[in-house]
Amino acid sequence: MADWMLWWIPGAPLVAAILLACFGKTALRGISPLVCVAGVGVSAVLSLLLMFTGNVAEEPIRLLGYQWLSIGDLTVDIVLQADALSTMMLVMVTTVASLVAIYAAGYMHGDPGQPRFFAAVSLFVFSMTMLVLSGNLILLYVFWEAVGLCSYLLIGFWFHKPEAAAAAKKAFLVNRIGDFGFALGIFLIWLLVGEALNGLPPAGQQLLDYSTVFQAAETVSRAHPTLLMTACLLLFAGAVGKSAQFPLHVWLPDAMEGPTPVSALIHAATMVTAGVYMVCRLSPLFALAPEAQAVVATIGGITALLAALIALTQFDLKRILAYSTVSQLGLMFVALGSGCSGEEILPVAAIGAMFHLFTHAFFKALLFLGAGSVMHSMGNVIDIRQFSGLRRVMPITHWTFLVGALALAGIPPLSGFWSKDEILAVVGLAAEESPYPSLFGWLRIGVLLTSGLTAFYIFRAYLLTFWGEERFPKAAGHHPHESPPVMAYPLIALAVCAAGIGLAVGPSHAFFHFLSHAPGLKGEPHPLAASVMATGTLVGLAGVFTAWWVYIARPGLATTWAKRFSGFYRMSLGKFFFDEIYSAVAVKPLEGIADTSSLVDKSVIDRLVDWIAGRPALVGRWFRKWQSGLIQSYAAMMFLGLMLLTVYLVWVE
Amino acid sequence: MNTLLIIMILLPAAGAIAVALLGNSHPEAVRRLSLLVTLATLGLAAGVVANYEPTTKEQLADQIMAPQMVTRTTWFQFTGAGDQSIKIEAYLGIDGISLWLVALTALLTVSSVLVSWTAIDTRVAEFFAWLLILETAMLGVFCSFDLILFYVFFEFTLIPLFFLIGIWGGSQREYAAGKFFIYTLTGSLVSLLGLLAVVLTVHSVNPEVFTFSIPELAQEIKTQLATADVELAEFWRTAQFWMFLALFAGFAIKVPLFPFHTWLPLAHVEAPTAGSVLLAGVLLKLGSYGFLRLALPLLPLAVVDVGVPLVATLSVIGILYGAFCALSQRDMKRLVAYSSVSHLGFCMLGIFALNAEGIAGGTMQMINHGLSTGALFLLVGMIYERLHTRQLDDMGGIAAKLPWFSCCLVFACLSSMGLPGLNGFVGEILSLIGMFKVHPGYAALGTSGIIIGAWYLLKMMELVLFGPPGKKIAGHTSVPDLNGRELASLAPIMALCLVIGIYPSPFMKVIQPEVDAIAALYDGSVPNALEARLTQPLRTAHWAAFKPLSPRENAP
Repeated sequence: MADWMLWWIPGAPLVAAILLACFGKTALRGISPLVCVAGVGVSAVLSLLLMFTGNVAEEPIRLLGYQWLSIGDLTVDIVLQADALSTMMLVMVTTVASLVAIYAAGYMHGDPGQPRFFAAVSLFVFSMTMLVLSGNLILLYVFWEAVGLCSYLLIGFWFHKPEAAAAAKKAFLVNRIGDFGFALGIFLIWLLVGEALNGLPPAGQQLLDYSTVFQAAETVSRAHPTLLMTACLLLFAGAVGKSAQFPLHVWLPDAMEGPTPVSALIHAATMVTAGVYMVCRLSPLFALAPEAQAVVATIGGITALLAALIALTQFDLKRILAYSTVSQLGLMFVALGSGCSGEEILPVAAIGAMFHLFTHAFFKALLFLGAGSVMHSMGNVIDIRQFSGLRRVMPITHWTFLVGALALAGIPPLSGFWSKDEILAVVGLAAEESPYPSLFGWLRIGVLLTSGLTAFYIFRAYLLTFWGEERFPKAAGHHPHESPPVMAYPLIALAVCAAGIGLAVGPSHAFFHFLSHAPGLKGEPHPLAASVMATGTLVGLAGVFTAWWVYIARPGLATTWAKRFSGFYRMSLGKFFFDEIYSAVAVKPLEGIADTSSLVDKSVIDRLVDWIAGRPALVGRWFRKWQSGLIQSYAAMMFLGLMLLTVYLVWVE
Repeated sequence: MNTLLIIMILLPAAGAIAVALLGNSHPEAVRRLSLLVTLATLGLAAGVVANYEPTTKEQLADQIMAPQMVTRTTWFQFTGAGDQSIKIEAYLGIDGISLWLVALTALLTVSSVLVSWTAIDTRVAEFFAWLLILETAMLGVFCSFDLILFYVFFEFTLIPLFFLIGIWGGSQREYAAGKFFIYTLTGSLVSLLGLLAVVLTVHSVNPEVFTFSIPELAQEIKTQLATADVELAEFWRTAQFWMFLALFAGFAIKVPLFPFHTWLPLAHVEAPTAGSVLLAGVLLKLGSYGFLRLALPLLPLAVVDVGVPLVATLSVIGILYGAFCALSQRDMKRLVAYSSVSHLGFCMLGIFALNAEGIAGGTMQMINHGLSTGALFLLVGMIYERLHTRQLDDMGGIAAKLPWFSCCLVFACLSSMGLPGLNGFVGEILSLIGMFKVHPGYAALGTSGIIIGAWYLLKMMELVLFGPPGKKIAGHTSVPDLNGRELASLAPIMALCLVIGIYPSPFMKVIQPEVDAIAALYDGSVPNALEARLTQPLRTAHWAAFKPLSPRENAP
C-alpha cells in the first residue's frame, strides 16, 4: 500500500462530510446515507489494506502534512503516524463505523435531518481516524475536541427535544472539565520535555511528537519524578472525561438522547475508548509514573463496579447499555493501571486493555444496534417494562442480541471471554507483583464482581426484552416487525465479529504480537491460565443463571429482592444520585457565583466608578454656591480677599 | 512615501465627506457609496497584505520594530529649550503586529456597513459618515509610528463612536455614550502624560535625542538601559514604574481589564450593531495593541517589575469573572459583551507572558476575538431585527425555523469557545502555553476559563436555538432566514475563522519577526544584565517556578 493512501483514510470521510454539508439538502438529497457509507467504506477498505499489506508493525509510517504552527519553542506539524496501535484502532473504528452507517441508512430513513446526520457521522469518522493517526500531542488534543464536537452535534441531533439539547450541553461541558486537565498535562509535558532536551528536539521532529516525548521521558523522570506523575495524572483527567470514568461519568448515560446508531458508534465503540487509547499510547510515560498508574487502576475499578451496580436496576435498555459501557471502560483502565507491576507486565496489561477495547467495540455496538432495532420496531419505546417476549417477532434481533449478551457476559468462546480473561489475568499478576498488592487484591475482587454483575444485568435486559409473554407498547402499532434488511445485515455482520473475533486472534496471541510492535509495548504474552479462565467463566455463568432464576424461573423474586434491599435498590435506581449531588455542590454554587459576579458588577464596581466620576461634579457644586450672582457677596468676597492678601504681604513677607 | 497605505487610511474619510454631502435625503445612494468605499478600502488593505513581506533579520538588524511601507514627513515642528528643534511627524507604516489588525479593521467595517443597511433608517448619511470616519481613525492608530500621531488617532476614535452610540443607540444611549467617552478619555489623558514623560525622560538622559518616533524611542531606551550604571538603572526603574502606571490607566480601561470594564457592557448593549461590532472587533484591541506597541518595547523594566504581576493577575480575574458574569446574563448582547472581558483576558495573559509563544498568542487572540465576537454581535443584531428582543428567555427553537442563522451562530460560538480547528484555539493555546512557561499558576487558572467559557456559550445556543419554539418565535408566523446581504457580511469572517484555525502558519509567519524582537527584550540576557545593576531584584523573577527555555542560547 502506497503511503499516500494513508491520507485517504481520514480523507474519504472528510470529503463525504464536506459534500453532505454543502449539497446534502440539494443535489445529494436522498442519497446522503450512500455518500456517508461510501466515504467511510473507502476508509475501512484502506484501513484493512494497511493492516494486512502495509507491514506497519515493523515499519511505522510517518507522513508530514504541513507545518501547522511554529513560534518560539512550540512547533506543531500536521503529521500522520501509523503504527501497530493506530492501525488496530483504525480497523476497529472504520469497520464498526461502516456497519453502523449502513444500519443508520435504515434507522434514520425518513428523518428530515438525514443529511445533517450523515454529515456529522462522516465528520466524526474523519476526526476519530485523525485522532488515532495523530503524531503529536497537540494534534491529538485537536481531534480529541473535534470528536467531542461531533458527539455534541449528534447527541443534540433532535434538538427540538429539550432533553437532547441539555444532554448535548452536558456532554460537552463535562468533557471540557477533563480537557482542562488534558491541556495542562500537555503544557507540562512540553515544558518538561523542552527542558530535558534543552529545547532542541531531534532533527525532523518536534517537542510534542510522541517519539520525542518518549525519548525524553527517562531524563524527565530522573529530573522531575513528581512533575512527571502530575503530568500523567493531568493527561489521565482528559481520559476520565472522554471515557466517562468516575467522577465524570455522568454525561454518557444522558448522551443516549442521541439517535441509537450514534450511541453505538460514538458512545460505545469508538469515541469513548479514546481515553483508553491515549493512556495506552502514552504507555512509555505512564510506565515511569507507577503512582499515576495505580490511580488509573483505582479510578477504573471504582467506575467498573459503580456503573455495573447502577446498570442492575435501570429500565431504559439504552441506559443499561450505556452504564455497561462505562463499566467495561473501567475494566480497561484497571488493566492499563496494572501495568505498574513492572516492565514485563506492562505490555501484557496495556495490550490486554486494548484487546478488550477491540472486542468490546464489536459486541457493544451490536448490543446497541440491537436495542435500536427493538426501539425502531416498538415505536421509539425503550423502557423494558413496556414490552417483552419479542423473540418471535424479531428473530434476527433476538439471536444477534443474544450473541452480544453472551460476549459481554464473558461466556466462552465468544470474543468478550478472551479479552476479559486477559484483564482478570493481568489484575491477578498485579495483585502479586505490583508495588500495591493490597490495592490490586481488592481490584481483582472488584473485577470479578463486576463480571458477575455484568452477566446478570445484560441477561436481565435480554430476558425481559425477548422472553416472557409477548407484549407490545401502544406506540408500536398493531404489527411490530423485524427491522428491514439494511439494518439486519449489519447486525449479523457484527454478531459474527462479536462471536468469532476473540477466538481468532486471542488464544494464538496474534493480537498481542501485532500490538507489541507499538512504542513501549514490546514484550512477551502471558500464557493463558486455566484457573483464571475457569474462574471468569464460572462467574459469568453464575450471573447468567441468576438472571434466568430471578426473571424466568421465579418471576416475582425480583420484586421481593427490591423490597428486601430497598435502600440499595433506590440508590442504584437513582444512579447513586450523582447528578443531584453535582447539581448541589457544583452547578448551583457556580451559578450562584455567576449571579453574584453579575450583581457585584452592577451594584459595586460600576457604582464605584460612577461615585468616583461624581466627585469632580461635587467639587463643582461646592464652587457653584459662590457663583450666586449677587453683586454684594462678590464685593464682600473681593474685600475679604484683599484683606487677606494685605495681611499676608504685611505680616508674612 | 508610500501611497498605498496613505490612500487606504484616507479613503474612508474622503468617503465620509462624500456621503455627508449626499445628505440624509438619499439613503439608498448613501448606503451604496459607503459599501463601495469600504470595499475599496478592503481591497487596498488586501493590496497592503499582498505587498507585505515578513520583516527579515536584516531589516530588523538589532531593532525592536522596523515598519514597512513607511511614509515619514514632518507634521509640525517647534523649537524647544536650547534651540532644539522638535518634530512631530506623520510617521506612517505597517509591521507584522499591525498588518492583520489593519486587515481585520477593513473587513469588519464592510460587515458593519452591510449589517446597518436596513437597521439604520434615520439620519442615514450622518451614520455612514461617522462610520467611515471611524474606519480612518482605526486604521490610523495601527499605522502610526509617531507617539503624537498615534495618540491623536487613538483619541479620535472616540468621537465617531460617541455619536454612533449617542444618536443611533438604544434607550439609554446618551448615558452609555457619555460614560464610554468620559471613562476612556480620562484614562487615555493619563496615558498621554505617561507618553510625554517617556519622551522627556529619554531626552533628559540623552539630550541629543528628542524624538516622538516609537521605533527610535524603543531603540534609545534599549541602549540607555544596556549601558546604564547603577544610578541610572535605578532612576529608570522608578521612572518607568510611574510611566507604566500612566499607560496602564488608559490601556487597561480600553482593553478592558477587570475592574475597569463596566463601561463596556453598557456601551455594547446600547450601541447599534455596527457600533458593537467595531467596538468589540477593533476598538478594544487599541488597549492591548497599546500595551504591545508601547508598554512592552518602551518600558521593559516596569513591565517585568509591576506589569506582569499586575496585568496577569487582573487578566486571570477578568477571564473568570467575565465568564461568570456572562453566564448569568439574560440578554444576548450583554452576554457577548462580558465574553469580551473574558477573551481579552486571554489576550493580555499571553502578551504579558513576555515570550514569543505568549506574545504571538496575544496578537492572534486580538484578531480572533475580533472575528468571532464580531460575528456574534452581527448575529445578535440580525436576530434582534427579526424578533425585537435579545432576551434568552424569549427565544428557543430557532434552529428549526432559521437554519442558516443557526448554523452561523453555532459556528461563531464554537470559534469563540476556542474549539480546535477554528481560529480561537490558536490564540488561546499560544497565550496559555506562553504563560505556562513562566508562571504555570496563572496559566492554570486562566485555562480553567475554558470550562466556564464553553458553559455560557453552550447555554446561549441551547436557549436560543434548541428546544421547543419560544415565546417570540412561536408568535411569528414566518420569520425570514438570513438574506444574501447578511450572509455576505458573515461569510468572509467565518471563512477566515476556518482558515486561521486549519492553517495558522502563514498568519504567524508575518507576526513572528516582530514578536521575536519584542520577546528578545525579555529573553533573559537583557533583564539579567540589568538586574545585576539593580539594588533590589525585579519582582517577577521570583514568581517563575520554572526556568524559562531559551533555545536561542542553546542553538548551535
